[in-house]
Amino acid sequence: MRLSRRGLLRAGLAGSAATALGGLASGCAVPTGSTGRDMVLWYWSGGLSDTVVKNAKARYGGSVDLRPIQIGGQYRSKLITTITGQAHVPDIAGLKGEDMAAYLPNADQFIDLRTLGAEKYRSQYLPWKWDQGVADDGTMVGFPIDCGPVAHFYQYDVFRKAGLPYEPDDVSEGLGTWEAFFAAGEQLGRRVPGAKLLTDVNGVFENVVQQGAQRYVDKDRHFIGDQEHVRRAWALAVEAKKRGLVSDLVSGTPDQLSAIQDGKLPSQLNASWASFDIKNGVPKTKGRWRVAQMPVRPANNGGSFLSITKACREPEKAFEIITWILDAANQAQGYVDAGLFPSTPASYGLKQMREPDPFFGGQVTTDVFGPAAQKIVVAYNSPFDVALGTPIKDEIKNVGVLGKDPKKAWSDAMSKCRRIAKHLGVSY
Amino acid sequence: MASIKGSRRRGLALHVPLVVGTLISAFPFYWAVIMSTHSSSEIFSYPPKLLPGTHFLENVRNLFHAIDFFGSMWNSLLVAVSVTFLVLLFDSLAAFVFAKFEFPGKGVLFGLLMVIFMVPAQLSVIPQFVVMAKIGWIGSMTALIVPAAANAFGIFWMRQYMKTAIHDELLDASRLDGANFLRQYWHVALPVVRPGLAFLGIFTFMGQWNDFAWPLISLTNPDNVTLQVALSQLNGTHGTTDYGIVMTGALLALVPLLIVFAIGAKQIIGDLSKGAVRG
Amino acid sequence: MAVVEQSPPVVAHRPAPTGPRKGWRKYWHLYAAISPFYLIFLAFGLFPVGFSLYLSFHRWDGLGSMEWAGLSQYQYLLGDSDFWASIGNTVIIWALATFPMILLAMVTAVMLNSAVRFKSVYRIAYFLPSVTSVVAVAIVFGSIFSTNSGVVNAVLHGLGIDQVAWLNTPWGIKVTIAALMTWQWTGYNAIIFLAGLQTVPGELYEAARMDGAGPVQTFFKITLPLLRPTLLFVLVVSTVTGLQSFSEPQVLLQTSSNDSTFAGGPGHSGQTMVLYFFQQTFDNNDFGYGAAVAWGIFLVVVLFSIINWRLVQRRGD
Repeated sequence: MRLSRRGLLRAGLAGSAATALGGLASGCAVPTGSTGRDMVLWYWSGGLSDTVVKNAKARYGGSVDLRPIQIGGQYRSKLITTITGQAHVPDIAGLKGEDMAAYLPNADQFIDLRTLGAEKYRSQYLPWKWDQGVADDGTMVGFPIDCGPVAHFYQYDVFRKAGLPYEPDDVSEGLGTWEAFFAAGEQLGRRVPGAKLLTDVNGVFENVVQQGAQRYVDKDRHFIGDQEHVRRAWALAVEAKKRGLVSDLVSGTPDQLSAIQDGKLPSQLNASWASFDIKNGVPKTKGRWRVAQMPVRPANNGGSFLSITKACREPEKAFEIITWILDAANQAQGYVDAGLFPSTPASYGLKQMREPDPFFGGQVTTDVFGPAAQKIVVAYNSPFDVALGTPIKDEIKNVGVLGKDPKKAWSDAMSKCRRIAKHLGVSY
Repeated sequence: MASIKGSRRRGLALHVPLVVGTLISAFPFYWAVIMSTHSSSEIFSYPPKLLPGTHFLENVRNLFHAIDFFGSMWNSLLVAVSVTFLVLLFDSLAAFVFAKFEFPGKGVLFGLLMVIFMVPAQLSVIPQFVVMAKIGWIGSMTALIVPAAANAFGIFWMRQYMKTAIHDELLDASRLDGANFLRQYWHVALPVVRPGLAFLGIFTFMGQWNDFAWPLISLTNPDNVTLQVALSQLNGTHGTTDYGIVMTGALLALVPLLIVFAIGAKQIIGDLSKGAVRG
Repeated sequence: MAVVEQSPPVVAHRPAPTGPRKGWRKYWHLYAAISPFYLIFLAFGLFPVGFSLYLSFHRWDGLGSMEWAGLSQYQYLLGDSDFWASIGNTVIIWALATFPMILLAMVTAVMLNSAVRFKSVYRIAYFLPSVTSVVAVAIVFGSIFSTNSGVVNAVLHGLGIDQVAWLNTPWGIKVTIAALMTWQWTGYNAIIFLAGLQTVPGELYEAARMDGAGPVQTFFKITLPLLRPTLLFVLVVSTVTGLQSFSEPQVLLQTSSNDSTFAGGPGHSGQTMVLYFFQQTFDNNDFGYGAAVAWGIFLVVVLFSIINWRLVQRRGD
């Protein structure tokens, strides 16, 4: 087949015309941001229960046209782009927990939920979670969706074979300190050849940091990543490495999943939502897992918020929808549909959350995650935490994966932090 | 006898490495087929699966359930076809001028073009979004088509190609016949650079088809996105991905490319010999 | 740019006779013909470029107000060891990919130029990788180069060689990324070289054979010099695109949710310049510094392109 120029020209013109028409058509079909009755809700795949969102659309269909939109790819950069571009800003926007530190200093881009009467809902939500959605000046930016209490996932049979405690209560109790946890890891390595307690040292380091109330930069914009709470987490991570408790695999890779499937990585410290990752990633391990409390005290990992942007024309209506989507009954549904662990303690007693889970050998996992969620401490997240936490996490990873000398790694991390702190105007 | 043997040995010496190269080229495609015909957990088992499995239809079903595959494919086609057409036209026109004519400011303008070529494309998404929002193109395919309608790579390529493919005697002759610039372009230049255009067309189409970063930001309505943006929604929330479904989507997304390629490749393979690249 | 145009213009149609005012009327159709590219750049490219230049003299978190920072972003950039490391990574990966790729592409082109049978089958097979989406390819390579369940290590094991943790060691990461790029672009470049080869008049080869030159000698004495313009195009394009690579390492090395997808694996060994730009801009919300990094990348790309251009063009055409 030879393309004639004329044919090509004709085909191209037809294509362009079709596109222009298509563009016009879609231009009409796409309402841009809030136009009176339209209410655009942005979230990401798995960020809310699809059932609940569908119900909300039907429930409020009489007064507004709720348009839930799932945003793929990099959610935050897309949201920031539309807010800065002041066009196509959604009325209601989901905010990921790890991004809150970036949104809170710009609370003026959002509607203060206190002005819409948020205060009267406060008692129904976990206090630490509620506080995470509030900026320094008291502006309430985010309304709590879920939280990510961290627990100890382990494979029952492997622990039993290794001569370790294997019933959830016994594991919670027997492995309740880091020392006991590490000793169990050594025993596991001896009794089950090739088995490691954890995938990498970051599992120890980040969980220990997240158990506490401090991160890397404090409210006064001062670097605290060189203080005791980080040093302790560092020392424990180094110890896990030295005692041979971590694998040389990378989390999320095919190799790690196959090791989990083979019982070579029978244990992980992970948030409640990880149960859905395990179910999807290694479905063959069904029935082998149990959940227990993690050593010392629970940490939190993840969990998000809903916000109302300044672009919203009907904030009262939006707030009504938000509070309905996130009430205790619907949060329980969110747990069933998307593994979103409720920030409403009233949900923990509801039927949907009391179901024995066959994947966990019939265990009611809420019995572990529920109490854990209530014991989490409020931590201050600085907008500079990412920039100043990354060098430390990178270096502990170098220790774990590349075998770098821990002393050298620590001093490298600190000198890098000093430089970055100076650049960002964070006192060191 | 001896010479036949010799040429056979020579043939073998050529074909053996060529076949090995073909196998290496083809293997990842074969592997993609293997991944798309297994469930996620089968993919990760050891020893690695070497033969296609039975999960393909299930993966296809899940894929079609998860995203509007054909709707987004239509959008991708619209964008890729329009951009390819515009690029072929604008780039070849500009290249024809840069390759065969002299005019004041030529060196500076071509230098500028090469410098623009080197500006990182990711430089600034936000200001581009602001511009598009001001003219009201956000959310429509126009925001993808117009900025891509001419590019430095294509002009550079066509210029190098045209320098030798179009013989000056032909241009001189046509000018003596009274042909103006557009007639020269249409009747003298285009017929001989067909293979170069086919090459550019294939790569423009492919680039648009696989483009991701800008469509992701500028297409705000999920019911109206391109295929690559739709496929990106398959990635799990917490970093877990069902590789079986993702590979199935990637393989099916390849089909239109293969068709375009089959059409264009004939041009290239048949005729690229007519012209060549000149510095 | 003086480097661009070193060879004398091939044809000088209508030597410009008189002054500039008459010139405009004489040349307007030429300017019109090249205008779309520049108009599109003016409309959609100039503002972003200017804005990012402006941004690089400020601090900005993407949402709040901008703060004047003078030259401090650039000062910091000069002393930023992570940025320099990312330049190193990019250049190493680029070199590991580009030189084998160009060599292989030339050899393939020479073979394809002489092999008669199945020519089109080979060409399609070699061309196919380059039209595939990088994201899909990176997922496939991630699977093939897995430590335990990957085919590459299975083959090595069969040969009695130890497993290599491809995606978990600094050199393994770089080699894997380079292998991916080589796989994807060798055939594409081979086709371009083939186009160049086919303009070499057959009589030249005939004459060489008469003089008793072997195939190797013929290649260096005749083929290579005539391929120089093609080589120039291939090298410049691979430099500009190769130094701006990011999807390959990003998809290949993205792992658990707690890791940045821009980190480039353990020890940042696979963090290219553009990945570093993304990390600064979107992970750290440091848009001002990100803009400065982008301009640093631009300078590196221009520098390398000029070097390559000079190297290839030096012995004069």
